[in-house]
Amino acid sequence: MARIELSGIQKKWGTVWGVRDVNLDIADEELVVFLGPSGCGKTTTMRMIAGLEDPTQGDIHMDGELMNDIDARDRDVAMVFQGYALYPNMTIYENIRFPLRMRRVPKSDHDRLVRDAAALVELEDYLDRKPSALSGGQRQRAALARAIVRQPQVFLMDEPLSNLDAKLRQLMRVQIKHLQRQLKITTVYVTHDQIEAMTLADRIVVMEGGLIQQIGTPDDIYNDPANTFVAGFIGSPPMNLIQGTVSNSTFTAEGLSVPGLPVDGDRAVTLGVRPEDCHIAAGNAHLEGEVYGVEPTGDITYLTIMAGKKLIEVKADRDYRAELGARQSVAFDPSRIYVFDTETGARMR
Amino acid sequence: MALATSTAKRSRGENLVLRYVILGAWALFCLAPVLWFLSIGFRPRTEIITPEPIYIPTFSLDAWHMIWEDWPMAKYLRNSVLAIFGSVVIDLVLGIPAAYSLARYRYKGRDDIGFYILSTRMMAPAIVAIPIFFLFRNLGLLDTIWALMLIYAAINLSIVTWIIRSYMIEIPKELEDAARTDGASDLRILWEIIIPAVLPGIITAAVIAMIFAINEFLFTLLIASTPDAYTLSVALANFTGGSDGLIYNAIALVAFLAFVPVFLVVVLIQKHLSRGLTMGAVKG
Repeated sequence: MARIELSGIQKKWGTVWGVRDVNLDIADEELVVFLGPSGCGKTTTMRMIAGLEDPTQGDIHMDGELMNDIDARDRDVAMVFQGYALYPNMTIYENIRFPLRMRRVPKSDHDRLVRDAAALVELEDYLDRKPSALSGGQRQRAALARAIVRQPQVFLMDEPLSNLDAKLRQLMRVQIKHLQRQLKITTVYVTHDQIEAMTLADRIVVMEGGLIQQIGTPDDIYNDPANTFVAGFIGSPPMNLIQGTVSNSTFTAEGLSVPGLPVDGDRAVTLGVRPEDCHIAAGNAHLEGEVYGVEPTGDITYLTIMAGKKLIEVKADRDYRAELGARQSVAFDPSRIYVFDTETGARMR
Repeated sequence: MALATSTAKRSRGENLVLRYVILGAWALFCLAPVLWFLSIGFRPRTEIITPEPIYIPTFSLDAWHMIWEDWPMAKYLRNSVLAIFGSVVIDLVLGIPAAYSLARYRYKGRDDIGFYILSTRMMAPAIVAIPIFFLFRNLGLLDTIWALMLIYAAINLSIVTWIIRSYMIEIPKELEDAARTDGASDLRILWEIIIPAVLPGIITAAVIAMIFAINEFLFTLLIASTPDAYTLSVALANFTGGSDGLIYNAIALVAFLAFVPVFLVVVLIQKHLSRGLTMGAVKG
């Protein structure tokens, strides 16, 4: 159990930036998710915490102790990898036991610890199989067992569910969260999947271009995005971001008119509104356009409206149907309209 | 439709027959020299050199007795086996860490070192024959199995290193990262994770080194001057001259003896071998 502090962390390979400037304080027992598109620096940051990469600049502390010069093998950190990274020549039992052998845990404890860890992930019956004889989900559970067997200070998980199918992913997600709560181990979890991030995290760190874009609880990130990147990255379908101008506190773009915005003067802004905060309206509303697409999914109908050249996503009622090309008005929930500076992408409040 | 199906079936059947005929002919072509060895080896010497065709050969163990009784064949065989196995062990002990270093570590001049190792294979052996002769003479190793071990190892080290390296490159880096965070040192990782994972490559490299070593002639002839260090390949040469003239049936039998162990090993591990060779060829 440990607290992790990253201060001024940078990573550069030659002229290529991996991580530009990361400052982060992870509390003991917290589950923090690094979220971002590939190449945003999230995995590199995690690997620096593990000791598999050295930061070009900045300090990493664990429980107040400077970690920069401490080898990966001497940090009390366990890592779970996207490709499972089970040792192919060893049985599952030997795989789980490997960290105990390497860290010189007394031999007499090995069997009990291995079996306890296997029981936690429900793999007791597979201990004498080789990894190749296991399914993807079982392999990932074996990798989890290998990580938890020695009760490390910190868990690092690098996209551990990416290779699993959707159904299994959901199940494993719940198991990982349950295990983390049960074992109370500080955990850093890397993913590009916003659903994983939203469901697992105590706090989400959204990264892009080697920089932290926003740190916050899933609710903060979803309801109070700091900039257009975060707003557009989280949510499915993502937030509608519409470029236009504000004059006399009224936003206008082709087919759109939204009054009462907290913006002074005349300037170019981007208006953000989530599909679920758009409602079908009759007559006088914020948006009027042509029905471009209607996609019923059973519990909800996705409606796409073309306003000028811009496509706007709306989550409509399950019974909503419309002819393509028909005119449709849409009203936005006034309390859930976001305004961003078009030039910098930053939120305007 | 039915017609088309039956035509397709028949032509597939014909294809299969044709394929077997071609493969059978190729197998016979490859095995013919071996069968020829056996046929010569177990016939009397007079029958071999007669110009008239012989349709029903006579079976004779003359040559068989001769090579074992008149010549120290057991010693040659022992020398071959010791020198070859010793050289393969040396190659693996040096080649595996070298391959790991070339495959995984980043350091200045790594690719140059890799190329240098490979380039030792590009030189005509005769160029270094004389210096090597003096080197071994000064070391007092002339006419010993130790010298043969060293020279075979030196000849094959480059190819062993490169074959194993090509396997090591294929191993996901995640495995090593996992082992490192699990608390393993570099040597541990090599020993417990990498070597078991590249075992097919190690076997392939060892067999190829063995084949090159068993066929090595030039340096063996140079270093071995008495039966103390003669190997099968040099012993063969002893049947080609001297007062007895060319002893074809003995040559055939010794050549066969040199061929059998290699053949058996290759058959045993052919699955690994074909994978190893193509892997080295495509990725490298």
